[in-house]
Amino acid sequence: MGKRFYVVTRDLHLYVGLFLSPFVLVFAISVFYLVHSRVGREAAPPGRVVSNLPVTDELERLSGRDQVNSVRPLLDRLGVRGEVSFIRRIPKEHRLVIPVLVPGRETTVELDLQSRTATISERSTGVSNALIHLHKMPGPHNVNIRVNSSYMRIWRWLADVTTYGLLFLTFSGVYLWAVLRAERRVGIGLLSAGAISFCGIVYAVSH
Amino acid sequence: MPSRIETLPAVRPSARRALDTFKLWSRKGHYYLGLYFLFFLWLFAFTGLLLNHSWMFAEFWPNRKVSKFERPVEVPQTDNDLDRARGLTTRLGIKGEIEWTAARPDSTVFEFRVNRPGHTSSVTAYPEQGRAVVEQIEINTWGIMRVLHTFTGVRAGDERNYRDWFLTTLWVISMDAVSIGLVIMVFSGLYMWYGLPAKRKLGSAALMLGTVCLRIVYLRPAVDILEPYRTAARPAVA
Repeated sequence: MGKRFYVVTRDLHLYVGLFLSPFVLVFAISVFYLVHSRVGREAAPPGRVVSNLPVTDELERLSGRDQVNSVRPLLDRLGVRGEVSFIRRIPKEHRLVIPVLVPGRETTVELDLQSRTATISERSTGVSNALIHLHKMPGPHNVNIRVNSSYMRIWRWLADVTTYGLLFLTFSGVYLWAVLRAERRVGIGLLSAGAISFCGIVYAVSH
Repeated sequence: MPSRIETLPAVRPSARRALDTFKLWSRKGHYYLGLYFLFFLWLFAFTGLLLNHSWMFAEFWPNRKVSKFERPVEVPQTDNDLDRARGLTTRLGIKGEIEWTAARPDSTVFEFRVNRPGHTSSVTAYPEQGRAVVEQIEINTWGIMRVLHTFTGVRAGDERNYRDWFLTTLWVISMDAVSIGLVIMVFSGLYMWYGLPAKRKLGSAALMLGTVCLRIVYLRPAVDILEPYRTAARPAVA
């Protein structure tokens, strides 16, 4: 029973680890960009203009998820795909500004509700921003509209799988190490050193 | 008569020793790093879940404690804003990362915020009147954990703020170390797996599945697959 449990745990640790390795690399590498990069947003180049759009005044009155749901068919029609980051309303000009994101690309749609036109500008945001975007999504902001695109629905699920999988890898890893008697002393030393550094830094930073 | 061993291709002993050492340290490094960073990994994994799911049990903002006090204090007279702020926080007994909140149109007021996980102090000082008003917000343990996940002292596109507290730098170094550790663990894991021929087929399938899933989201967003079916619906460009 004990041996079988060990073998199953070892195999699961291996296969789960292999499945998660690309995701772990994305999360780990994006940390360097998140922590050290100071690059801001660049202005998008002038975009194409689309006229004669079937927009209604109701679009301006809606808010939150309802507004995103109403804008979606229009974005599909314009060939703009991705996650609606937020919708900024400029009431005086009867305009809506809608940034739409996919990893590595940001499309901004400026919708003029009076003239029924849309200006669409697109810019490539590069690998670093793509990794940052994936690391931060879906995140705690704009919760009422977040996960409004197909890729974000998949990514939310994959991000959860990565986190739960990583937790499984840590528990199974500790078990697999504990079985190795020869490594117990060094392992306990490192585990204690890690615990002391972790508690020490967290205490110092937060007290 | 030559033995079976003598017919094997010659491998230089020093190269073999180096390879054996590399193999041994790949394995040892994999679990040594995992054990050292265990608590950091638990924190970042769990807070990652907290950030992505607004779980009720981990709410912290409605339970925050807000307090305010006013104190007579002399604002240090130096040209450097950071030195002034540091001097003032020392006198007020506040520590943390200094954040410049907004441009100051009123030169008679000196405003900034001091952050550390769990505590935010908004300082409004009146140098000519020799007093300062401090509003403090304290959050609970769930909030502290969440802030630790994102506590870097900088924000992309924010040129005004930079890391100015040595403990923020120490925390950022920890984040970097955990990330480097994870990258090493991924590659040492891949190397150890490659050394197991019996696990290669199923392992390749697991690795391939992970890569394909990531590719669907990142390299070619799933929605793009629908592109040919949507092009027909596009209106004419003016």
